[in-house]
Parts: sequence; C-alpha cells; structure tokens
Amino acid sequence: MGDLCPLAFLSAGTEATIAKVRAGKGMQTRLFGMGFCPEARVTVQCADRGSLIVSVGDARYALSRGIAMKILVECAKAVA
Amino acid sequence: MTREIRIALTGNPNVGKTTLFNALTGSRQHVGNWPGVTVEKKTGRVRRNSYEIEVVDLPGTYSLTAYSADEIIARDFLLDEKPDVVVQVVDATNLERNLYLTTQLSELQVPVVIALNMADMAEAQGDAIDLARLSAFLEIPIVRTVGTRGDGIGDLLDAAIREVKTSPHHEHTIGYGDDVEATIAMLADALSADTDLTGRYPLRWLAVKLLEGDESVLDKVRGGPALARVERILSSIDSDEYEAMMADKRYEAISAILPQVRKANVRSMSPSDMVDRVVTDRYLGIPIFLALMWGTFQLTFTAAAPFMTMIEAAVGWLVEFVAGSIEPAWLASFLGDGIIGGVGAVIVFLPNIFILFLILAFLEGSGYLARAAFIMDRPLYALGLPGKAFIPMLVGFGCNVPAIMATRSIEGEKDRLLTILVNPFMSCSARLPVYILLAGTFFPEQAGSVVFFLYVLGIAVAIASAKLFRSTILPGEVSPFVMEMPPYRIPTAITSPRHMWSRGSMYIRKAGSIILIGVLAVWALASFPLGVDYGSAGSFAGMIGHLLEPLVAPLGFDWKVAVALIFGFIAKEIVVGSLGVLYGTGEETLSSALLADPGLSAAAALALMVFVLLYTPCVAAIGVIRQETGSWKWAGFSVAYGLVVAWILAFVVGHLAGFFIGGA
Repeated sequence: MGDLCPLAFLSAGTEATIAKVRAGKGMQTRLFGMGFCPEARVTVQCADRGSLIVSVGDARYALSRGIAMKILVECAKAVA
Repeated sequence: MTREIRIALTGNPNVGKTTLFNALTGSRQHVGNWPGVTVEKKTGRVRRNSYEIEVVDLPGTYSLTAYSADEIIARDFLLDEKPDVVVQVVDATNLERNLYLTTQLSELQVPVVIALNMADMAEAQGDAIDLARLSAFLEIPIVRTVGTRGDGIGDLLDAAIREVKTSPHHEHTIGYGDDVEATIAMLADALSADTDLTGRYPLRWLAVKLLEGDESVLDKVRGGPALARVERILSSIDSDEYEAMMADKRYEAISAILPQVRKANVRSMSPSDMVDRVVTDRYLGIPIFLALMWGTFQLTFTAAAPFMTMIEAAVGWLVEFVAGSIEPAWLASFLGDGIIGGVGAVIVFLPNIFILFLILAFLEGSGYLARAAFIMDRPLYALGLPGKAFIPMLVGFGCNVPAIMATRSIEGEKDRLLTILVNPFMSCSARLPVYILLAGTFFPEQAGSVVFFLYVLGIAVAIASAKLFRSTILPGEVSPFVMEMPPYRIPTAITSPRHMWSRGSMYIRKAGSIILIGVLAVWALASFPLGVDYGSAGSFAGMIGHLLEPLVAPLGFDWKVAVALIFGFIAKEIVVGSLGVLYGTGEETLSSALLADPGLSAAAALALMVFVLLYTPCVAAIGVIRQETGSWKWAGFSVAYGLVVAWILAFVVGHLAGFFIGGA
C-alpha cells in the first residue's frame, strides 16, 4: 500500500482508492451511506482549490475542502 | 370489508420518492431535481381493492443513522410509527449506494418492498437489471416503476398489500465477520436485560447501531438496566473502526450480488459531466450564475409586459365603470378605491409571478441549483456559510417560508440558524410587484437591471449579515459539506408548468384573502372617521401615517408610504395594494399617480424598493422562523435586525441616488 493523502490534494481527472475516512461521528456515517467507504474508487471531476466534484460509483458529489481533507486516498504516485 | 394499511416511502435523497408519492395518491407535492426537496413527512391516501392505504412520503436519507433534521424525521417515523410496509424507492441508475440503505432496512425487520424507480433511465443508459434474481438475493419483492409516467403504480400497491398479508416476516441480514459478530453477540446479550427496549426494536438492529456509534440509540439505552454492560463493551472497541468495517461488509455484500443481476453498460463521460466542466469552472462559474440570474429577471420583466398591459387595461376599465355607474358614492369608493384599486394593483403582477416561477421551476428541475451551491461554496465559506446554504437562499427567491424549511438538510445547528436568519433578505416573489411597479414607473428604461440590482443587493446583505453574525453572536467554524449533484435533466413539460400554476394560483388566492383584507383595512382607515376627505390627512390612515412620517422622512417617504409599509408587514404585496388604495387611482393608473406625486422622487422610489427588500420578514416568514428555531427570540431578532438594516441601506442608497440623479 502506498502513502495516504487527502482527497483534496488530487487534481481533476484523477482516480484513486479511498483508504480511510475520518470525519467525525455523523458526517462519517453519512459519507459511508453515500459510498465514500474504504476500498471505493473515486474520480475527481472538477477541482477548485480543494473543493471538489467527485464521482463515487454512479453518483456525483460536491465536497467542500473541509471534508475532502478528511477522506484519505492511496496516492497512486507514491506507489513505487 | 375494508382494511387500513400504512405505507412509508423511504430512500436516498432525490431518487423520486415524491414523484412516486404524487403518482400513487394523486397529490401535487413539490418535486425538484436536488437532494432535500422534501423536508417533512407528507401523507396521502389511495384505495386499492378492499384496502384503504395511507401513503407517507418521507425526507430522503442515506442511512438509518440520522444526522440532519430532515433525516431525523425520516428515521424516527420508520422506527417509532412502525408503518405496515416500507417501500424503499431505489434509483435504478445508482443501485450500489441505494442498496446500502436496503441492508439497513432489512436489519430493522420491517416488511420492505423495493420500487425500482427511474428504470427507464437505467435502460436508456444501457443497463439490464434482472429483477427476479435481485429480488431472490435480497428476499425482497421488487417492482419496476417510472414515477414520472406512473408506470408500475398498481403493481407496487399490490406488492405492498401482499407483504402486509405475509407474516411472519423473513429476516435477511449481512454477516459482518467473526470479530464484529462476536461483539454484536455480546451487545445483544447485554441488551436482552432491557426487555422494554427489546420489545420495541429488533435486538440485532440495536446492537449494530450501538457498534456504529449511533448516539440516539445509545440514548434509548440510557436509563435502562443494560446501560452499564453496554458501555463497558463499547468502551473496549474503536467504534469508528467498527463502523468502517461494517460499511465495508455491506458494500462487499452488495458488490457480490450486483454483477449477477445487472449488466451495466460501460460509463463514458456523461453529458452531465461535460456541462459541469463548464458551469462549475473556477473562472466561468460565477459569471455564468450571475448571467442566468440577470436573464431571469430581464425575462420576468419583458415577457410579462404585454400581459400586464392587458390586465391593467381591464382593471382601469373596471374602475371607470364602477366610478361612473354605482350609487351611493361610498359604495363606489369601497368597490373602486378599496377592492379594485387595492387587489387590482396586486393582480396586475400575476404574469410576472407566473414567469418567475416557471423559470425557478426550470432551474430546480434541471439540477442547476446544486451546482450553484458548489460554485458559491468558496466565497460563502470565507464569509461563514456552507455552500449548501445557497439552495435555501435561491428557493427564497420564490418564497421564504419553504426556503427556511429547506434549511433542515443543513447539518450544523449554527450553520442552519445562520442560514435561517439571513434568508429573509433573499427577495421573495411577494416583493417583486413592488419593484416592478416602482422600477417600471421611475426607471422604465432600466427596469430589468434595477430589479436585478435589488436581488443582488439582497444576496449581498444576506452574505454580509452571515459574516457579521458569525463573528459576533454565532461564532464557530463552518461545518464542511457534502452534497449530491443530481444528473442534469430536462424538466418535463408537465412539472414546470404545474409548479408555475400551483404557485401562481396561490398568489391569486392570497390576493383574494389576506391581501384583500389588508387593503380593505387600509381603505377603511383612509375613509374614516366619517366626513373626512378620502385619504386625507384627517383620516385615520392620515393620522397614523403622519405619526410615523418622522421615522421615514429621512428616507424620502411620506405618510402614504409609511402606511403602506406597515401593512406590508402582513404580506409584502400589500405595499402595492395599499398605495393603490391610498392614491385612489380612480382616473389614472397607479403608475402615473405615483409619477405625478411631488412627494415621491425617483431617488426615494429606489430607497423604497431597498427598504421593502430588507425590512422585516412577513408574518408567515416570522412564524416559520419561530417554528424552525424553536424560539420567539430569533424571530424577534430577525424583525429588529431587518428594520435597522433596511433603514440604513435605504438611507444610503436614496441619498447616493439623489446625488447622481437628483431629486432627493
């Protein structure tokens, strides 16, 4: 497994696998319900300085930077 | 013999629950293409064979652990009201995530029927779903539905009725792996001491929710005999870790089934994504949004103009007819000045209201609203509001009452309160007649732009107020937000006009009820005491107006405006109606009467529009602020704050305008 980095750091067009979600009670449950679950594939559609539109499965979500920082993904680049 | 049963519609947000509800019950509840349209439960009835069925439409939810106010309503209903059957509406184009909720409903051990909705769209994008196999895997009956066309409605009702008759109910749950299952068994054992609790909820469900760290379930355990042991078990585990493992197992179970029941077409970049690239672009996003808004108000003004002229001519003819042919004079005054002058002045703007709501319905149905929230997230965040707050703000362009209720989908309590308090600054459709009358009269060439300026000013004041409240009375961090972006859809030819019609007819009813009463009160005040000249300084209206005039004189308003503003408190359209009554526009239209009045300059008219935009929410909005914040304190605060801000800005705008265009 490569290094982990926040989803917020990815640029538009990148695809990654979610590794960890640490968003605090309530929000975390919501994120799991939305499909932001470890091992899920996520694709960044649009990125604006940390705010993102991403697709998970068949859904699109807008995330503010605050949330996007708490979803950790496996950084493709770091996998050597 | 008829039997009563109760069905609850549940499911993820924006999967078409309300569309299906409308199709089932013949209701006309509001639907839109953004998550969180429905924020309270709605009920309707339908008869099927010998069954009298009550259908309850619930707000959407992603899981059975509630987070925001609307989710709590949905969850509590399912848990505590125990409907006979739960119909989960599933978006066929997004099976994986929708079935996640299904796994939780199964644990709740209620009879579930799945309505596989938007099946036509899944098919159109090339997916083939094997309903029979999916149904067999889940042990849940599945009915294919297309809510917008009413397909599958009868089958769905039949399936629900069959489920009620089939008892006892099967149980199908996810296995969470040895570690988790061992802990679930321990918790279940501890919980079984609390017979009161286990009598009401399934034991396994309670244990699972406790493991996930569901606070409201822990609250239910509190005070019972099982608490000490439960707490001991919970303190020995990392509930975040457990929750992640359980979510993982649920998705694992779903993805084990899916390839066997669905042949999914390869997803290429959808048209939605391509549109999103443009409208959410970091440079183009905000200009596009502003251009759309400007276009909206330009269209509201210009497209309605010919219809307005027709209604104006009809009202004018009626006034003349009444004045010329009705005896005695007081009755002619009552009918002409009071009813026709007042209500007529308001009805003239019906075409504008229709067009505004047609455009708003189109924006809501297209899916653009959710994008606007994303575009505005950056600027709003900096000012202390979550981007999600922007949707209630845009809904406020229609009416602040549903807009304030729409804040229920905002998670943070402070964020929500803040969004409620700034919402009245979003210019609702009731204020539009005031702008159209005054802008059309005093700024005929730039009317569309003046109206646009007022809407932007409203947004600016709302945002500035949020910043102010955030740094004073409601300090704290903005909670981060996540929100689903629905795919763009072309609103059907039916839903937009229907929404327009329902809002337009509401406007007519309002004109015939509360506005009528308001303008008649103004007419009475202008006519009495007996013997005074109609609408003169000696009438009650004149006395009240003159009493208040010193307060508004610095803004360039005279006593007539003061009276109109007081009654505008009931509903803002009454400002126009009252002016119609007070100017007693027997021989000329209200527009020319206003122009001819030396007491009202163009600069003062601009100040008046600003004042009407910002001053106190109307009675209905105050009521809903009280309801949603749970206290009169915030409702009162909203009134006082609005009045102060309105006075200051009207003063500034009026004097600036006076400086540039003269006449203040």
